[in-house]
Amino acid sequence: MLTKIAGGDIIDPVNGRLDKGDLWIKDDKIVPAPAGGAADRTIEASGCIVMAGAIDIHSHIGGGNVNTARLLLPEQHAAHQLRPAMTPLSNAGWSTFQTGCLYAKMGFTTVVEPAMSPGAALHTHLELADIPIIDKATLAILGNDDFLLSMIRDDAPQTMIEDYVAWTVASTRALGVKVINAGAAAAFKENVRTFSLDDVVPSYGVSSRKIVKTLQAAVDNLGLPHPLHVHCNNLGSPGSADTAAATIAAADGLPLHLAHLQFYGYGTEGKRGFSSAAARLAELVNATPEVTIDIGQVMFGQTVTVSSDVMRQFSARGSAHPKKTVIHDGDGNGGGIVPYSYGKDFYGTMQWAIGLELFLLIDDPWRVFFTTDHPNGAPFTAYPALFELLMSREARTEMAAGLSRSALALSTLAAIDREYTFEEIAIMTRAAPAKLLGLTDRGHLGAGATADVAVYRRDRSIAKMLGEAAYVFKDGDLVVQDGEIIHYRWGKALRLKPPVDKAMVRRLEDYHQQRYGLSLDWFNFPDSAIAREQPFGEVPCRT
Amino acid sequence: MAVAWIGNREALIEHAAAHAASLLSSSRCPVFSFDTDIDGTRAAIALAERAGAAYDHADGAALARETALFTDKGAMTVAPGETRRRADVVVIVGELPRIHHGLVGELAGTVPDLSTGNQRAFFVVGPNGMSMPPLNGGRKATQLSCGQASLAATLAALRAQYKGRRTSQPVSNFNDFAKALAAAHFPVFLFSGHAAEGLALEMLQGLIADLNRKSRASGLYLPASENGWGSALASAWMTGFPLRTGFARGLPEFDPWRCDVERMIAAGEADLHLRISAATAQLQKKRARMALIVLTKTEKPVAGAAVTMAIGEAGVDHDAVVYSSRTGSLRSIDAQADSQLPSAATIIRLIATHAFAEALPC
Ligand SMILES: [Zn+2]
Repeated sequence: MLTKIAGGDIIDPVNGRLDKGDLWIKDDKIVPAPAGGAADRTIEASGCIVMAGAIDIHSHIGGGNVNTARLLLPEQHAAHQLRPAMTPLSNAGWSTFQTGCLYAKMGFTTVVEPAMSPGAALHTHLELADIPIIDKATLAILGNDDFLLSMIRDDAPQTMIEDYVAWTVASTRALGVKVINAGAAAAFKENVRTFSLDDVVPSYGVSSRKIVKTLQAAVDNLGLPHPLHVHCNNLGSPGSADTAAATIAAADGLPLHLAHLQFYGYGTEGKRGFSSAAARLAELVNATPEVTIDIGQVMFGQTVTVSSDVMRQFSARGSAHPKKTVIHDGDGNGGGIVPYSYGKDFYGTMQWAIGLELFLLIDDPWRVFFTTDHPNGAPFTAYPALFELLMSREARTEMAAGLSRSALALSTLAAIDREYTFEEIAIMTRAAPAKLLGLTDRGHLGAGATADVAVYRRDRSIAKMLGEAAYVFKDGDLVVQDGEIIHYRWGKALRLKPPVDKAMVRRLEDYHQQRYGLSLDWFNFPDSAIAREQPFGEVPCRT
Repeated sequence: MAVAWIGNREALIEHAAAHAASLLSSSRCPVFSFDTDIDGTRAAIALAERAGAAYDHADGAALARETALFTDKGAMTVAPGETRRRADVVVIVGELPRIHHGLVGELAGTVPDLSTGNQRAFFVVGPNGMSMPPLNGGRKATQLSCGQASLAATLAALRAQYKGRRTSQPVSNFNDFAKALAAAHFPVFLFSGHAAEGLALEMLQGLIADLNRKSRASGLYLPASENGWGSALASAWMTGFPLRTGFARGLPEFDPWRCDVERMIAAGEADLHLRISAATAQLQKKRARMALIVLTKTEKPVAGAAVTMAIGEAGVDHDAVVYSSRTGSLRSIDAQADSQLPSAATIIRLIATHAFAEALPC
């Protein structure tokens, strides 16, 4: 099947294409304009912009903690869309089924679940397999698990640690590795209540910094395309900008990704001891080319924080709204679920402004990524409104008018004129995420690319334009038209398959037998356990 | 071997499925109850959406108590692996289901390797004479009870005494317990909705929260039914809600009272009951005007059922994914003796193809 998307404004920074013209799709790939070719189907795209499908690198869309949040909060997602079901279970609020549909409607075609507990890999992949339309991927969590901490304590050779990381990535079908408050969850089990970069986990005598550096090197040596994804210590506390700054400095020339930097953009100035350190952090990021970050923007309203940073979530229990939480000590990280409502008061305004400052003060759109850390800063359904804030100074001014003045006085936001261009949006949400994740087949519109394409009809409202795509193609299938799902399909979970060392498997078998009284079989699963055709797509490691 | 029946008469599997589908299509208030693996749950919920049915676990009461702890109050919990490796005090809270007795025995037969003392003490909370899982090596658990007081009342007294408050009836052996807690690094309370009422589960979480003010402690959740909890998890990701959810208005609505399937049948609200469970169980008294469709592991028709269809048992007749309380997550298991019997999911999907034009989404 040959499709022509005719006469749109094409925005494809990777291939340097920024012109009005046609885009051709043959089956599931983008192809050059065929000589004298007649399209089987023509999509009229004049007055539209045409971009690659968007990629979200950090959104908690499935797995143990997300599902526990659903259990904890039936009132949060009481279905509110009383309209006939167009697609299966599409009226199920906050379900896997709705997640895929809502993302697709905005032109997103690939989403990364960034916090997969290795022990819950099967559960996570089963959830992801029930997210329709889009492709998914996961990052496996390491850095609070006894096996790794023991190896570091015992000065195990780095190659052995790499074998363990490779086994974890391969057996959990992950696309990368994340470390979440390295060492803190282990220390919390020993009743430690705060934990910073140079603190040590008592029973192991291993510092958080050492864990991060060990994993960063392992990821790099193994050729995993995505750099180590770091959730720093001290999330949410005043003064956490110091921790973020120290972690940025610790990158030390090797690639490192810092997640949801907004939650660390906090200084201690002002009479409340809570101020914006965004300008300082942005400057550090600008000056440190090996570092990439995503924002974790806060938007106002009720949400729920879902995190494997169990120490942090435990300490945030008092702020739960409504008043109920789940705190789980897991085999490695565990996690915590704390519902929260971001108000337009001093603190909420401060967080909102800090996120925007980071977006606008970090110069290079290749190194700053568009996230709300869904659902932690805001649900991903807030994306259209957030695009508008980034692309329109006027929208920011309008919004700021209803917010806390004393908070805004401690931020530089009002002085920032920058407005993101569509080209920058295309870099930040398409080209850069594909590059960061090692997905060469997407994020651009060059010949041979996977035909993930989003077409947006120009509108005075940026939120409306980017919130309801005119057309979306996934693997060449037309899945969205005029903001509605018109075709149901199943995407894949993208994964790496690094070679697994047999001696490491034997070691792990012994370890599980001895320590848990269980064979490794209890944790492994075949692809066929995911009841979908071809549930996984393989992404090559760097060679 | 016969695998499908319409009434008492053997039927072709396609005919039985078509008959079940026509009953489902003409039902005004269908209800589903199941005790099945993850794939069976997914198919059943997808069919419930199409049919406008309410669904519940086959033995829903205990699961509903456990679910309510999470939906209403929240909890502090710990993984079973961490319990084995870290718990220096293990407190058995109330009667635990038999399926977990093996784990308790294992905890008694091992010491926590991640705890400095490498020792484990056992306590049990509950009335005198409560049945206890056997501990290995002749070990004994110290009993914490207030005579015949309920579990909730005993836990309330325990909590009060721990806070230094007076109680009308003191808890037996409290001083031993207090001493053990003072020395403990990571006490773990084993709990289940099997015999504990909601108030007891809530009271236990209150005690755990109190302990965590100064030191660490947590609860190991041991579900009354592993399949039940697995279904609750799959239901949560598919619909946003746990079991006792219904699609009467097209969209999923969670209502633990209204969608209590046993209640709906007893009250005569349901006009069709689809029961899915490989295990043959005592069926609730069938209402006269209610159609019954049974999917079970059987070689003969179920008495009173309009349609009976044979299914295999997950992990015995076919590979499956199930919840395992030994790992605290979902687990893939291979068939022990691959048989020709279809899975519950296969039969549910077959019924769906006869009832609805479009295939189920899972
Ligand atoms: Zn996150």
